[in-house]
Amino acid sequence: MVEETVALKSNQQIGTNIWLMEFRSTLLASHAKPGQFLMVHLGERTKDPLLRRPFSIHGIQDGDKVMILYNVVGAGTSLLSALKEHDIISVIGPLGNGFTLPRPSERAILVGGGIGLAPLFFLAQVLQKDQRSTVTLFLGFPTSQEVVRIQQLKDLGVNLSLTTEDGSLGIKGVVTDLLDQRLSNKGATKPAIYACGPPPMLKKVAQKATTLSLRSYVSLEGYMACGLGICLGCAVKAAHGEEKPYYYVCQDGPVFPSGMIDWEVL
Amino acid sequence: MAVLPDLSVDIGGLKLKNPVITASGTFGYGTELTPFFDPSLLGAIIVKGLSLKPIPGNPPPRIAETPCGLLNAIGLANIGIQAFIEEKLPMFTKIEAPVITNIYGHTVKEYADLAKKIEKVEGIAAIEINISCPNVEKGGMAFGTDPDTAAMVTGQVVSNTTKPVIVKLTPNVTDITTIARAVESAGAQAISVTNAILGMAVDVTTRRPKLANIVGGLSGPAIKPIALYLAHKVVAAVRIPVIGLGGIMDYRDALEFLLVGARAIQVGTANFINPKTAIEIVHGLTDFCSREKVSNINQIIGGLKTM
Repeated sequence: MVEETVALKSNQQIGTNIWLMEFRSTLLASHAKPGQFLMVHLGERTKDPLLRRPFSIHGIQDGDKVMILYNVVGAGTSLLSALKEHDIISVIGPLGNGFTLPRPSERAILVGGGIGLAPLFFLAQVLQKDQRSTVTLFLGFPTSQEVVRIQQLKDLGVNLSLTTEDGSLGIKGVVTDLLDQRLSNKGATKPAIYACGPPPMLKKVAQKATTLSLRSYVSLEGYMACGLGICLGCAVKAAHGEEKPYYYVCQDGPVFPSGMIDWEVL
Repeated sequence: MAVLPDLSVDIGGLKLKNPVITASGTFGYGTELTPFFDPSLLGAIIVKGLSLKPIPGNPPPRIAETPCGLLNAIGLANIGIQAFIEEKLPMFTKIEAPVITNIYGHTVKEYADLAKKIEKVEGIAAIEINISCPNVEKGGMAFGTDPDTAAMVTGQVVSNTTKPVIVKLTPNVTDITTIARAVESAGAQAISVTNAILGMAVDVTTRRPKLANIVGGLSGPAIKPIALYLAHKVVAAVRIPVIGLGGIMDYRDALEFLLVGARAIQVGTANFINPKTAIEIVHGLTDFCSREKVSNINQIIGGLKTM
């Protein structure tokens, strides 16, 4: 874990409310694992917004280029989106546990809802580079306006299927429809599922995985002040029978085997 | 080379090499921030508030950001005093700064029992009492909002320990000086001013409170002027040392509290944003004193000019 002040390489809007930020950091790039996240602050002395914002690492390019894919949702991300090339941000990371990679020859099914694509791209990058498993990616967006990074995913060589809720691109429906249609526990190798997206989507993924007895991992979000396991803000209720009443997204996660979480209250 | 200024202060018999302390609940159990700097360089470390039994804490969402502020309702989640002593305290042997435990209970007896337990433990330099929590025997009213119960809790802790006792006051009272005088009379060796200020925030789209607990404690730079005012009032009301806290982000904020008479300061919310804040304040105070030709930090403490 390091704290670094970095200059932006680029920060561009690539979809409705969706931005891609890039900066160079040899340290972060060499230590980061898919599923880990960064705590980003606009400037050292900014008091409003006060807190850092957590962002999952979207990918590593050219050895030292770190990418963050983010939705502009509030005051903090709005200010972040106004930053230009050469502007400075402060970054702490890489934080959290990251995804448990599939076993050799195990298939990987990545399921992303909207901005939930962010950490899955990095996972797809690493899995494709390792050539350890076949990677299938199911992505769902509200409309074609939010569909981003598709060409780059195709360039990685993953099997890609798209849904949009209005049918403006890909299959009309939500991404979990694809799970219902195409997922089974039959065949020579069982797939492991990796999901990131809104809680209702993750809940459906978790249920599906339980029904089919598949290993599944979900990457969660949480309101957090520090990202370092100190503020204890980012609590999520643990499933019944777990050893702790709450898990903390920043330290115990952000990636959890879906069975660890109490989906009734998430 | 110029002689470095003397930053050491005395807090009710506890000698600190500088007046910078990390606030309870913002520095974990003491070792979480070691990747960023050596905690031995600080005046003291106050660990996360501990209770007799482990507390799971509140349901999420537990925090919400407001302009220049952080609202929290963590629910005093902690691993309990026993697990702290067994699992966490051994890691403190490498830290040379004094370790202060923050404690809280739901009954007066729980405070007394915590004091008895801590009294036997080497490596804990002092006790800070959180009296901002609800008194279950008195209908959930916070101990710290009534001078008699505040004094009773303080007295019970003081009579069960030989370690210095610091009482952390709640700002959510009509007159903080009556509480300050009550805990001083009950034997407190120092007072921390102030704990978080009660507040709330609402999501207008969902029409729900932003905290599952509905209300929470506000901290961060938004509360600094209020905290400074309260520290100023308490300094005038008591003879024992006052430790100032509330929204301190840098050494200039720290100096404001020292100038109104706080003998030391605590860094809280700032640790979440810049984990090196506390050590940067130590360096900032050193540089300031050198620049201003102040050889001893005690020359600044209480040096507010009002004429």
